[in-house]
Amino acid sequence: MNLTAGSRAAWALVAVALLGLLSFASLDTDNTVDPGERAEALNDLFACPTCDGQSVAESNAGVAATIRQFIRDEIAAGATDTDIRNALVNSYGTEVLLNPPSDGVATLVWMLPVLVLTAGVAVVTVTVRRSSGSADPTAADERLVAELLDQQRAEVDE
Amino acid sequence: MLSAIGTAFVLLGLTASLAGAVSGAVALVRGQGTASMRQFAWMVPAAGLGAFVVMEIALFRRDYSVSFVQQVGSDSIPAIFNFAALWSALEGSLILWAFVLGGYIAAVLIKFSSRRNDPLLGWAMVVLLGISTFFFALMAIPANPFQRVSVAADFVGRGPNPLLQDHVLVAFHPPMLYLGYVGFTVPFAFAIAALITGRLGEGWLVETRRWTVIAWGFLTFGIILGAWWSYEVLGWGGYWAWDPVENASLLPWLTGTAYLHSVMVQERRGMLRVWNLSLVCATFALTILGTFLTRSGVIDSVHAFADGEVGPWLLVFFAIITLGSVGLIGWRGDRLRSPGAIDSPLSREASFLANNVLFGAMAFVVLLGTVFPLFAEAFDGSRLTIGRPYFDSLGRPIAIVTLFLMAVAPVLPWRKASTELLQTRLFWPGVSSVGVLALAVIIGARGFWPVITFALAGFAGGAAMRQIVLATRRQGWRGFIGRTNGGMIVHLGVIVLAMGVAASESYKTDRVFTLEPGETAFVDGHSFQYDELGADRTSRRERTFARVIIDDQQEYQPARTRYTQQGMIVGTPSVRPGFTEDLYLVLDEVPPNPDGPIRLRVIIRPLITWIWGGGILMAIGTFLAVFPGPRRRGTDPVGASTTPPEDVKRDPLLVSAFRRLRRGVA
Repeated sequence: MNLTAGSRAAWALVAVALLGLLSFASLDTDNTVDPGERAEALNDLFACPTCDGQSVAESNAGVAATIRQFIRDEIAAGATDTDIRNALVNSYGTEVLLNPPSDGVATLVWMLPVLVLTAGVAVVTVTVRRSSGSADPTAADERLVAELLDQQRAEVDE
Repeated sequence: MLSAIGTAFVLLGLTASLAGAVSGAVALVRGQGTASMRQFAWMVPAAGLGAFVVMEIALFRRDYSVSFVQQVGSDSIPAIFNFAALWSALEGSLILWAFVLGGYIAAVLIKFSSRRNDPLLGWAMVVLLGISTFFFALMAIPANPFQRVSVAADFVGRGPNPLLQDHVLVAFHPPMLYLGYVGFTVPFAFAIAALITGRLGEGWLVETRRWTVIAWGFLTFGIILGAWWSYEVLGWGGYWAWDPVENASLLPWLTGTAYLHSVMVQERRGMLRVWNLSLVCATFALTILGTFLTRSGVIDSVHAFADGEVGPWLLVFFAIITLGSVGLIGWRGDRLRSPGAIDSPLSREASFLANNVLFGAMAFVVLLGTVFPLFAEAFDGSRLTIGRPYFDSLGRPIAIVTLFLMAVAPVLPWRKASTELLQTRLFWPGVSSVGVLALAVIIGARGFWPVITFALAGFAGGAAMRQIVLATRRQGWRGFIGRTNGGMIVHLGVIVLAMGVAASESYKTDRVFTLEPGETAFVDGHSFQYDELGADRTSRRERTFARVIIDDQQEYQPARTRYTQQGMIVGTPSVRPGFTEDLYLVLDEVPPNPDGPIRLRVIIRPLITWIWGGGILMAIGTFLAVFPGPRRRGTDPVGASTTPPEDVKRDPLLVSAFRRLRRGVA
């Protein structure tokens, strides 16, 4: 199956269209974040302290509503995201952070998946590479074919 | 009375399971027949069914002398939620587990009745009975639902958790999930039987592949129904919170999905034997680990059933399963060497390996994120919470690469593909990718993650459609059934779901308004006019709702419902679903004075119905995949050809030899 010049050009067109549209859609984003969106994003980052792992955005508990209100008020008062984060950690402890910090023992939770993934990719790569190239028939394969052919001939002769 | 009958069924199940497992194992070791094991085995489904029926009768008769009915029963609850109350707490959910396991045992007994003397079947039944021994023992000792308790004269049943008596999906989500969880017991039992008998060829795989697909289908549908329920009931506009209970259901789904793919490599090429055995064992072990994590009180979760007593039991059982599987695989290591080899990274088998790396990595992330806070606290006392941001940031890239693989893998042939072949077969999927992407951008999709999801969805969708079109063109309607074709419909479901997730997460709007009666709020081109408060009450609940008119058309009633028996207030959202977007209303706060302002939360989530639609499509695809597919023909573009090459065709002798050789190899 040879690639014609036409199909090559068609592929090039597909690739250009994909890249063009992707980069346009990634870059043409509205960078002005309104306070509502900021609050929405922050609500997702903090745990509701009384409700077993639900985020502030998810929980209907009173304290979650209080924190949502606190975040809205702080944003309105001009606080930065870091200010709000620090204020919440001061009041409720590090448990309030849904995103584990990247220091201390918590670094492991970020590093281990990367290690496992790398190891998995390495194992698969080695498996494929070590065994590739063995597609050519071996002496055993050829012997098997010869045997089968002999058998077949014997049957035809009968 | 009912508590005595129920306990009798539990004890029958326990005794029959234990006696069957022991007598079966002894008979198999001695090389004798296993007739007595089968007689015992038939009592297990009977005991499971009996326990289930007795508990339902007790619930409907409001027999509060049965401990579980005292816990979850209620006089005022509607019939459907009363029926579903059986699985609304720990003890009852064990009855459901035992009932479903009994059903699978019966199905195995019937399906393989013609091969009753096969030791492989015998050992599989021993394993199944061993597992049912454990679950009946849980019910008999640490978590007996049928305990006889005294009833105070003025006792009023409180009913299940209010969240579990609010929406009809509660009647379907847990049974589906359990059919999935417990279904993985069957392939696990066959895998262990294969290890014990040493018959480690592809036989056990072929016996159980349909069972695995069915279990996987139930688990998938159960998870989606759970997400749907959580969206309709929990009132935060989302469907997946990375809660430990949700993660526990996702873990076996991930390893099970990996297994469904890699098993094809073994069937076809005889490779990956150890790996497939490990995946089957891991999938089953993870269902037990998940049950341990969520039923033992080790991890707090909104829908964990807090009961510490079963914890140690489940942990020990998990350890036995894990160590037993690892030990058996190590013991049989010499027989597990695979004959085949992977010829090229551009091949179907290599792509299945890549799939396994991705699903394995995702399973690792989910497991790590779920249990890590426990380890961190044990290690240096640090208190951590791991939630959505963590799982999102690691899961997103994995999901994207998986979508890419879903586009490429289905067009790859076994053994080896040339880049020319790939370029030809991927051309229309490539065009479809551009089409979907362009459409998304024109409609207004922006931002890297959602947009690349749409592009890859178009790509993968094109590849799946290609297979379906080729198959139906050749075989008509039969081109929709069979594992390959049904599998591609499952892929289409995943793709629709992925687009739903990407759009509903990336483009959601979540606003809170304080509205006086008559006031209107505007969000993204929709108007929400608050009219007035309303209220209604039944014997079990008092509902306060706000009349909100959306877009001057229809009235919606987000409510706060107080369940009188529990004294618990639950927010009941009101949703206007739509093909392009859902409008989701939550009544955040009701004023003490009816004329005062309410606090209304408005959440807009585009394409969220696509998630449920994708789930239904996945279920349909699984159903189609269970039926035997059309016979593979020589012209099948995706399989290794059994048609001899042109130069061989001229010599009838060679043709015949070629066919024999193929049959011998395949």
